[in-house]
Amino acid sequence: MTNQERKWYTGMLTQEDWWAVWLGLGFFLLGLLSIGGIDVLGWITYPKKWVFSLPEGAVAKKIVTVNHAFYPLGAKYSQTAKDFYKGLGPIGGILMTYLVFTVATSIGAYFMRWDLKKYITGWTIIFFLTYLTWFVGHHAFFSASVVDLKKSHFPEMFTLSLGGGASFILALIVGLVIGNFFKPFAQYLSTAAKPEWFIKTAIVFLGVKVGYLPIKAAATSQKLGHAVAGLTFDLFVAGAAATIVAYMIFWPGVYLISRKIFKLPRATAAVLGSGISICGVSAAVATGGAVRAKPVVSIMVSALVVVWAVIELVILPGFFTHVWPGTGDPLVAGSAMGMSVKTDGADAAAGELLDEFMRAKISAETDGKVVWPEGIITTSAVMTKVWIDMFIGLWAFVLAMIWVYKIDKRPGERVPFSEVWHRFPKFVIGYFVAWFVYLAIFFGPGHAGAADGMAVLKAAKVGAINVEKGMRKLFFMLTFMSLGIITDFAKLKEAQFGKMVWVYFVALFCFIIPVAVLIAYLFHHGMMIPTLGAAG
Amino acid sequence: MGAEEKRKECHSGSLTGDALEAEDVLANAEEWSPVETKLVVWSFAIAVIALIVGLIVVPTSVLH
Amino acid sequence: MDFSIHHDGKDWVASCGDISVAAPDLDSLDRKVESELGKRGLLSEQGKTMVRMCFDTRTIPEWIRQYAQHYFNRVVVFGG
Repeated sequence: MTNQERKWYTGMLTQEDWWAVWLGLGFFLLGLLSIGGIDVLGWITYPKKWVFSLPEGAVAKKIVTVNHAFYPLGAKYSQTAKDFYKGLGPIGGILMTYLVFTVATSIGAYFMRWDLKKYITGWTIIFFLTYLTWFVGHHAFFSASVVDLKKSHFPEMFTLSLGGGASFILALIVGLVIGNFFKPFAQYLSTAAKPEWFIKTAIVFLGVKVGYLPIKAAATSQKLGHAVAGLTFDLFVAGAAATIVAYMIFWPGVYLISRKIFKLPRATAAVLGSGISICGVSAAVATGGAVRAKPVVSIMVSALVVVWAVIELVILPGFFTHVWPGTGDPLVAGSAMGMSVKTDGADAAAGELLDEFMRAKISAETDGKVVWPEGIITTSAVMTKVWIDMFIGLWAFVLAMIWVYKIDKRPGERVPFSEVWHRFPKFVIGYFVAWFVYLAIFFGPGHAGAADGMAVLKAAKVGAINVEKGMRKLFFMLTFMSLGIITDFAKLKEAQFGKMVWVYFVALFCFIIPVAVLIAYLFHHGMMIPTLGAAG
Repeated sequence: MGAEEKRKECHSGSLTGDALEAEDVLANAEEWSPVETKLVVWSFAIAVIALIVGLIVVPTSVLH
Repeated sequence: MDFSIHHDGKDWVASCGDISVAAPDLDSLDRKVESELGKRGLLSEQGKTMVRMCFDTRTIPEWIRQYAQHYFNRVVVFGG
């Protein structure tokens, strides 16, 4: 077996990055079949907010009883197989979800030559723990908002109003408890605890969501459909500009701090510059390779990055929601998140948490009159990240040239341009394909939401919703859980990291986050999310 | 840890931060060289140019 | 000519078939590769000899591979 990237197609069957594309696009294609009336994905099972028993006078609407806490999405949305999916019930649905994803991810694990037995047992434990936390997190006490209570005619009662965010937080906590207090168990699960693989797959599913958002909005009005399509494009453009500006300020800034204040060697400062400043582990590895650092430098920086990223994930969504910028500038918060939280997993997770918090807050502030479509804030956080992930390949190439030709000046060495492709994040291809295909359906056969296109859009919705809602949320949950499992806070105490922990702390909180917020503000200030109104 | 042992670990992919000496990664900083000044200044310059162009071109920027 | 390269914690190691050379830094590694190829008569007499060194990603810890699969590929030209 060779594990070297020689050809442009090397790794298509052996890398997580490519497997995120195959899994993501595979289910995306199956979802598309719904346009032809074939609904094969309705088994994906999704939670509802629940209580053990309904109080007197309440109706099971937004909040249901415990035996209805899960339902296969097809039981609600399918046009052609509703009865079949209803017949599955919650337990049958969960088992079917388990079966399909066990087979699908195990095929990936097989080709990536992981220990299959360890993977399947680990995956099984993580999967069912995830569903259990999803269940607990959807108890009305954690998740229900004032508006949910009102819609279900519940009497006034105290709830934490965290929405779907409660389940995410809970999954992270369960993961962190395993990762920090049951280390041998965490070690055992590590073959299957792959947050980055899960989130890359979820980001391809998010591509379906971004393309589906206008379709969903068009159900309210054609004008709203147009507004949402325009907004996603604005995020795409603003995200690109913000990313380039941020990167070119972050990297030299952290490099200066590391070299001048902390007196670190060049290669280490360069790797830290990328690791701390923007895209974490992948950047640390890319830059390490580019400046020909010993791999240990990238490995050490990466070990720190994953821990700090989780700390950011815990702090930032709450801060951005309740301190600043709040619901007045939700997309500034989202895009700042993308620029300041390292690793795709922690960033997308933080964006999703922010999405839940912000929507719950705006709904409470306006007494349910303003309803933001789910996922736009997540999209804003992921959009900047996707640009960053693409940009690092280019930046690493520039650094490689500077190091090889100007700094090390090694005789005879050349930097092959193919390096840019080898470092390109392949899952991004899946994200864009999924987005643009659904967008093409909206503007093509969907007639941009006009009455004569609605039949196609309604059929497309059935497949899209299974992927963008059911599968995406499940893979986000798996990401939270496995992020926790692989995060070991004791790493920060290890003496050999000493100085690096402090460089990271100073650079992150005094430089990166404030600059990220400022740049996000310059490019996203005033962008508002259209409301679905009471109809949503 | 002996070099032989490290070599073995290395092939199994378990090369970790703990398994290696880290001193030379953090110490022995080279002198600051003019190339680095150029690199840093150019990066900031590109950022400023990108910022100005971005603010003008991007329709959602604060200038619009 | 294609070499694989990795770092064993102390040295950079480049290998191709039964050739395997190690050195603490890339400069000396290149010189050693060059002299090894010279000894075996594998250097082009007239012109340049191009050697590609692709990093062996198996040596990157498994948990990191999901974030980044690629370390570096380098090309060195001897006799240029």
